[in-house]
Amino acid sequence: MKDLPYDLWEPVIGLEIHVQLNTKSKLFSSAPNHFGDEPNTNITVVCTGQPGTLPVINKEAVRKAVQFGLAVKGKIAKVSRFDRKSYFYPDSPRNFQITQFDYPIVREGSITTHIGGISKTFAINRAHLEDDAGMLKHFTTFAGVDYNRAGAPLIEIVSEPCMHSAKEASGYAQAIRSLLLYLDVTDGNMDEGSLRIDVNISVRPKGETTLRPRIEIKNMNSFSFLEMAIDSEFSRQISLYLNNPHKTHEELIPQATYRWDPEIKETTLMRKKESADDYRYFPEPDLTPVVLSDEYIDQVASTLPELPYERFNRYLSDLGFNEYSATILVGDKQLCDYFEDALKICNNPRLLSNWITIEFAGRYKETGKSLLTSGIPARHIAKLVQLIEQNKINGKIAKAVADEMVANPTLDPETIVKNNPDYQPVENIGEIEAFVDQTITENPDSVRDYLAGNHRTFGFLVGYVMKLSRGKADPQLVNDLLRKKIDEKKES
Amino acid sequence: MKNLHHCSATELRNAFLKGDVKAVEIAEHFIKRIDQHNKELGAFLSILGERALVKAEHLDRKKAKNLPLGKLAGIPIAIKDNTHIAGEITTCASKFLSNYRAPFDATVTKLIEQEDALILGKTNLDEFAMGSSNENSAYYPVKNPWNPNCVAGGSSGGSAAAVSARLTLLSTGSDTGGSIRLPAGFCGIVGFKPTYGRVSRYGLVAYGSSLDQIGPFAVNVEDIALTMEVMGRHCEQDATSLDFPPERYELKKDIKDITIGIPFELLEGLNEEMRANFDQAVEVLKGLGAKIINVDLAILKYTIATYYILATAEASTNLARFDGIRFGNRATSAQTLEEVYELSRKEGFGTEVKRRILLGTYVLSSGFQDAYYKKAQKVRTLMMDAFDKAFEACDTIITPVCATGAFEFGALMDPLQMYLQDIFTIPANLAGLPSISIPSGFDKRGMPLSLQMTGPQLCDVDLVQYAYAYEQATKHAKIPEAFL
Repeated sequence: MKDLPYDLWEPVIGLEIHVQLNTKSKLFSSAPNHFGDEPNTNITVVCTGQPGTLPVINKEAVRKAVQFGLAVKGKIAKVSRFDRKSYFYPDSPRNFQITQFDYPIVREGSITTHIGGISKTFAINRAHLEDDAGMLKHFTTFAGVDYNRAGAPLIEIVSEPCMHSAKEASGYAQAIRSLLLYLDVTDGNMDEGSLRIDVNISVRPKGETTLRPRIEIKNMNSFSFLEMAIDSEFSRQISLYLNNPHKTHEELIPQATYRWDPEIKETTLMRKKESADDYRYFPEPDLTPVVLSDEYIDQVASTLPELPYERFNRYLSDLGFNEYSATILVGDKQLCDYFEDALKICNNPRLLSNWITIEFAGRYKETGKSLLTSGIPARHIAKLVQLIEQNKINGKIAKAVADEMVANPTLDPETIVKNNPDYQPVENIGEIEAFVDQTITENPDSVRDYLAGNHRTFGFLVGYVMKLSRGKADPQLVNDLLRKKIDEKKES
Repeated sequence: MKNLHHCSATELRNAFLKGDVKAVEIAEHFIKRIDQHNKELGAFLSILGERALVKAEHLDRKKAKNLPLGKLAGIPIAIKDNTHIAGEITTCASKFLSNYRAPFDATVTKLIEQEDALILGKTNLDEFAMGSSNENSAYYPVKNPWNPNCVAGGSSGGSAAAVSARLTLLSTGSDTGGSIRLPAGFCGIVGFKPTYGRVSRYGLVAYGSSLDQIGPFAVNVEDIALTMEVMGRHCEQDATSLDFPPERYELKKDIKDITIGIPFELLEGLNEEMRANFDQAVEVLKGLGAKIINVDLAILKYTIATYYILATAEASTNLARFDGIRFGNRATSAQTLEEVYELSRKEGFGTEVKRRILLGTYVLSSGFQDAYYKKAQKVRTLMMDAFDKAFEACDTIITPVCATGAFEFGALMDPLQMYLQDIFTIPANLAGLPSISIPSGFDKRGMPLSLQMTGPQLCDVDLVQYAYAYEQATKHAKIPEAFL
């Protein structure tokens, strides 16, 4: 990348996030809303735009949109309305999309998240309901259309142009995704296109308050691509301004749509907008306005689950987490719910979190599996941590037990410990005292060195005791006993 | 038993229920009439003789076993060919859909079928219901049973002519700006456009969605009432369907205490003959005890402009789905996607349909939308307000259905002249009101003339009762001599 004075410039970024709702049926038809089936199997006469068919709104989709609106503290429209957006394309069965143009269901929300250790709040302009298009498939001699996705319910979440770095944009998008997963309104699967991001981006010298012309990057389906695309576009636009000081902004950055090419790692031009697209929006006459009562909105509000940012704050304040571990856990809704499940029978949240996010996560790294898909019940992890907490096993044995749990996901850690004599805790102090005495007797040199002030030999002595106990002694107890006995020796 | 086609639908059903006539005889009789006359009239686009016979045999078996029979048992009925019958072709009188087989039943079809009517066929119309004379059918025009040189009116011309000539006793139509009432008027039968939302639009190929309403044609008001009890039902598949229980249409002749509003200002342009016919109708109603008042509906002078902006705007998007991709005509010469769209539509659509798509696209375009579409919406609201106000003082508003009787083929070549045919009928669509067309006599050419009665929203039953009272006092309806 060229050496540009990045410090003197800032990008201005707004995101449009299209989210496929995980309703049972489509937005306006009774066809199943399901990804990945044989082409053109999840369709009805309504979602293929057969003449004579009419749309009927899916109440579940409305409810999910309202849940989202309430979760971002937005204004829920008591009356919202659908419009026809006209354009011809084979994946659009009616050649118009049904969307909410003038009267969206949600306005003016915000979302707060931690980015680089700083709490940031981003403004959301609106969120509206609309139906998705089908998918064009190109074959060698022809093209076909799969209408399985046609009519799937989407909410489009439009932010204000309030982000000023790739990290912020990606942080905002991740916070939105996380929130949606907590609300269980989408599966959030970006590979399958359940969450797609359009980026609007312009740049300006820091301190400038007006907005320069922007371009749009369409259909980003990964957060890392999103960041790369923004960074790439940031430097492309800056260099255009710097290299062409005599041209107007509009000449340099004409309105256009780009896409991110992951191969060449650059934004590439899809099409220029010669004049503004004319979608000829007008109210959809086949649908009546969506009218929501206060009671309905209150009822939805009362059923909202704990949201990620609330959970994050609770982990910091009540569970004593640091931001890093809280972010790791809260950022993964399923893992976090698993943790919450285990927490019910475990009273050391931080230790539990370590075992879940470090020990077990590590064991599944590069296996293609994860703790969540392993079949290990959350309560087993909790029990393992309990065993450690109660000094029934030490850390070393715990790790061995964890290995066995991974190998046999249904086995209870208590059973694993019970069935293996090597894992039996040495609870008899007398036995350990004997090992300590034996160690002191067999290692007079080390004891002498320790007494002479070489404290490193203490570790060796502890290890010796542990070896004699075949690893079953509680290291803390060994420490205490060893220190006491050597001190006694010194005095004598 | 009198001649089957001289019966009303209700009479014929009663005869069938009494055992005076078999359903198969009814079906055969009317299919024969269609075979005899459809060439000269052009009322049907497809004849479903086989289907009707199968249904008739089924009804006769039910009757023999004393099983319960539906409200329309044994009544021959025709369906406008923009309304689906599952498995049958729905052409909308367009070349674009010459091969389009409906994948499902319209709600109306289902209800009619459930009540044991005999569906005889699909009737001709102006292409996609766009027209006032039925001259816009891509297949053949419908001739007026009273005079083959005259039009039957549109857009439901086939449905009107078929009932008028007694090729069937009932038919369905759709009315976006008068498409039931005008042809009913031109053909001398009764046609009813219910309150918007009363009859489900599911399975009706849309023209102007906020205006379209399905309704019945019949030889008299009693049969209209019977049919409405069957069709006027809430439908889950139509979001604009009124969510009320079905209504009972009890008919009584007494209209002693009602007040009838007349927008005299709008009638100033009527010629003497038409005015005389209308005045005669007013006298009859007065004689029945109705009070007559003037109502101010001056805003209706914007009717044509408002309608041709709103209806075409909706139509331009409703017809966008006819693109040659999934169904209907695909131009064989098309090489690119653009050409599939352009050529398929160019070949498939007729002139009037293209004109309205262009107009509708234009009035929605950015830069023009405020001046046309949005302004027209505001005028529509003002018209609704004016009707609300008028109905505070009266129970029904009457006008002629049209300023003339049926005109001759080719008489109105200027589209605007043609559009003006609907000046009295369109307001009920813009305001969503129930409105009925009833025969009021004949002009000096012997062509039928008709009275239009319009009521407040949801007052369908009351309105049909007023029409019944007028009909019983006048009995203008006749069978054209050529079809006796």
